[in-house]
Amino acid sequence: MSRFLVDRDGETRVRLSEGMELTKTQSVLAVVGLVVLFAVPDITRLTGLSFQAIHRGILFGLAAVGLNLLLRHTELVSFGHAAFFGVGAYGAAVLASHFEVSSGLLLLLGGVLAATTIAVLIGYFVSGYLDIYFALLTLAFNQVLYAFVLQSGYFNYSDGLSVRPDGLNPPTLFGLQWTSTGYDLILYYFTVVVLVGSLLVMWKLVNSPFGRALDAIGQDRTRARFVGIPVEKYVWIAFVISGIYGGLAGGLFALLQLHVSPDPTLYAFVSGEILFMAILGGFGTLVGPVVGGVVLVYLLIQAPFYVEYYNAVTGLVLIGVVLFLPEGILGSVPKIGTGLARRRRDPGLLRDDIAAIGSSIRRGVTRAVTTVRIIVFGVN
Amino acid sequence: MLEHVLNGLYYGSVLFMIASGMTIIFGVLGILNLAHGELYALGAFCAFSIVGFFAGQVAAPTGPVTAIVFALVVLAGSLAAAAVLLPVGGALEATFVRPIYDRDEVYQLLLTYGLLLVLTDVMKFVWGPSPVDVGVFSGINEIPTTELVGFSYPSYNVLVILIGVAVFGWLVWFFDRTKTGRIVRATAINREMSTAIGVSTDRMFTLVFAIGAFFAGFGGAMVSIGPGSASLGMGLRWLVLSFVVIVIGGLGSLRGAFVGALLVGVSSRIVTPYFPQLELAVPFLLMVLVLLVRPEGLYGTWGEIQ
Repeated sequence: MSRFLVDRDGETRVRLSEGMELTKTQSVLAVVGLVVLFAVPDITRLTGLSFQAIHRGILFGLAAVGLNLLLRHTELVSFGHAAFFGVGAYGAAVLASHFEVSSGLLLLLGGVLAATTIAVLIGYFVSGYLDIYFALLTLAFNQVLYAFVLQSGYFNYSDGLSVRPDGLNPPTLFGLQWTSTGYDLILYYFTVVVLVGSLLVMWKLVNSPFGRALDAIGQDRTRARFVGIPVEKYVWIAFVISGIYGGLAGGLFALLQLHVSPDPTLYAFVSGEILFMAILGGFGTLVGPVVGGVVLVYLLIQAPFYVEYYNAVTGLVLIGVVLFLPEGILGSVPKIGTGLARRRRDPGLLRDDIAAIGSSIRRGVTRAVTTVRIIVFGVN
Repeated sequence: MLEHVLNGLYYGSVLFMIASGMTIIFGVLGILNLAHGELYALGAFCAFSIVGFFAGQVAAPTGPVTAIVFALVVLAGSLAAAAVLLPVGGALEATFVRPIYDRDEVYQLLLTYGLLLVLTDVMKFVWGPSPVDVGVFSGINEIPTTELVGFSYPSYNVLVILIGVAVFGWLVWFFDRTKTGRIVRATAINREMSTAIGVSTDRMFTLVFAIGAFFAGFGGAMVSIGPGSASLGMGLRWLVLSFVVIVIGGLGSLRGAFVGALLVGVSSRIVTPYFPQLELAVPFLLMVLVLLVRPEGLYGTWGEIQ
């Protein structure tokens, strides 16, 4: 076996580094995913999809990947992740408009540092809380930040700040001033590189002893404390890491939009959206949040151009995911795959499926009738 | 100063009506209902249609007596508008919420967020995208209660404060003194046990959701017939605020929701005139403070805190 191929459990695996191995299907999927990511500009040109919307979706997806570290492993629902996204974006915007820093990478660095600081601060206060209290406390901190930014002249109130250091041109990337199309493309490829890097880091992280400890905390805090895991400290560290992902995404968002305002970056419902992206894509998977991010942002941005009642469309998609695909879009793929394979082997199962659908519709109608009867007459 | 306090009490009363619905839904069903703000908005829109129709049946008030008659008609109209929310809430619970009781809380959040989006568009479909106003505020406000508080103050606000207290009283009475209320509380504490003694939990939950929706709608009607108007985005702000209220008071505690709502209302109305830049942040600062000192909220009794 060569350096990059190992034999494990009777299967050849592609080895990326120590402890990072992919099965054959996984490597094929990863390569396909990478090719699709890099081909997005061409795909959008050919199919008329919105390039900007997909780019934004990937950024929100990156923030959702960070959030997923808390959600999946420590089982904490953070409802305030927009705080880091927004602070990342504002960090870049403040550097650009108040200090006239023109290098895009420096702006991004500033955003990430600002978000990290905020994450350290908030994490210190919230890391001992659980469940709904954790969710609502993070939400509260998020809203305090939002209110602060919205009413502060330094951040230009609700109008927000521009990310054009000289007031006209976008920041430079890699020391060069680009045309507007070139800027978008370069920034996109940079985003993809950052995304892939962050995913690899996250993978490494969740498969490390630290990631295992987080899993243990998520399963049972008391038990984790008894085996010697410093629970609050680990949750705090995980919180900061997830904040860094949010800040990175926010900084890139500022570079993409070239203008940062409170509502699309800091408001509580942005937090909600980031959370829902993770669930929509499948929070049990590593890449799911990115898929969820692209899908949800695309729905939110593009649906208004096609239907008048775009909120309802998004809402119905979310309800459908909860009721019929609880593992999320990506998380359900294996299940659907095996289901289809079984149907192909045994076509008789299809008849059972149709019968099952029919009976569930019948049950639904009966239930609805009963409910109506209860509502109207008070008794069944 | 007294005026600010009264404004705060008015604000807190409306907040309490919304938060009480949310807190009983959370306390009994364990669902943090994100669509609650839209139920409130739906109440406001229904009030526009129903109260508008009712008020059209009587003449505009000319003196104190006609003003009181007018106010009673408007109040009946808002009760009717809120009553629309009973079947709506019941149907939502039975159709969408019931399948997800034993799922992770993130799914409950996601589903109710989906409901929020759908409800917004339902209202957009029925009443159109622009804000609507019933326009009966000046009519009710002609009742002279200025003497009651010693200075010129809108009588409508006093009315709403009284209604808020009445709602609180009714809810306490319902949950403490009536058989149905006790059954609901028993169901909240132990579902299996209450099923075993012959309570239909399904029906109880539908009932509780409908009551919660009713009070949200009633709060909406109160705002809509008051100086405010019914608009599509109105639910979001109050939703976040009622989170704050029920967290300050302790999740699932009615008394907590009442005290929390009045605290938030009064403190934000007292602080705002002097520090306008703090207006949005006050409720959240209050919440952070309370949670850091008493993690389970002022009247919270349960909840796993470490």
